[in-house]
Amino acid sequence: MDGMVAIGAGLAVLTGLGAGIGMGIATSKAAEAVGRQPEASGKINSLLMLGLALTESTAIYGFVTALIIIFQS
Amino acid sequence: MNLIPAVESAAALIVGGLLLLVRRRALIAARGSEQEADLQKRYKKHLILGVLALWLGCGLGLGMLAPPQQAELHVNVFAPRMILLGFEVSSSVVVGWIAMALVTLAALWVRIFVIPKFQEQPEGLQLALERMVGFFGEYTQEKAGFVSEPLSAYMLTIALYLAACAITELFGLRPPTADLVMTGSIALITFGMIQYFGLRHKGVGGRIKSFAKPTPIVFPFKLLSDIATPVSLACRLYGNMLGGMIVMHLVYMALGTFGVGIPAVLGLYFNAFHPLIQVFIFVTLSLTFIGEAAE
Repeated sequence: MDGMVAIGAGLAVLTGLGAGIGMGIATSKAAEAVGRQPEASGKINSLLMLGLALTESTAIYGFVTALIIIFQS
Repeated sequence: MNLIPAVESAAALIVGGLLLLVRRRALIAARGSEQEADLQKRYKKHLILGVLALWLGCGLGLGMLAPPQQAELHVNVFAPRMILLGFEVSSSVVVGWIAMALVTLAALWVRIFVIPKFQEQPEGLQLALERMVGFFGEYTQEKAGFVSEPLSAYMLTIALYLAACAITELFGLRPPTADLVMTGSIALITFGMIQYFGLRHKGVGGRIKSFAKPTPIVFPFKLLSDIATPVSLACRLYGNMLGGMIVMHLVYMALGTFGVGIPAVLGLYFNAFHPLIQVFIFVTLSLTFIGEAAE
């Protein structure tokens, strides 16, 4: 039973994969945008922050789910 | 009692102290002269070795005085309960009150002692305070321009409270933000504000109509995403704070009695920088959602 709990937690934390890819894409696009239009960097920065926060939340959901699986089962 | 670790720790402490003392002596003698920079470079090895020896001595000594217990990591996903004056309350409530008291005392101190001394040319603390208030005012104006004054005051209050909550972790308490109930309550306030401003600026009919844009098919999805907003806000803050707490737990566990000095460097990120970023994101998202609902 313990092994299955560990496997479940590991599967839940796989959400980090998608979040990492998404954050990488967002950051690369933001860097490109700043390179093209350096004067708009303030606006791009705040947009990037917002996007990163929203992307990161998927990873956080997976993390919280894994914690609940491990410690509350 | 084992004598060897005691001798080792004492020897390491003495060697470290001596190395630092020699470096200090040499640098004091050369103060002001041209060789100072040269000597500083030459005695760099003394500094590094001395600090390392002191760290080793502290670790060994602490390990001798209080041998580490081989504990495995256990994290309470929900905050532990405690008895206070006959009532069973969550520990995050009590720590939250401590944080509130700290913020209130700081605010009173600023109001009574600092604000009467304000000058025409801002300096020091006055400059920092004016920058902070000004930044929040501008930011609120940018994200949700219709009611910037009261909204920016509320956002600054929330930001200061969350920052104070995060700082309580430095004193060994479980931060109240690492509790889903506490973050959920703050997210519910934001949810209430979203609905209030949305209804006030658009009316009931306008708000329902805005759900059905661009086509009526998206109505249920938009309604669902509106309801999911507080859940996502609460879970984001909670997960981030809990994650930082667990990483610090792991660091303390892995270092054992050698956890002198190193956790301070990591804590600078996990207990100071990371919570501030999360607070900023919380405020940004709240303002964006409120602005979106009222636009």
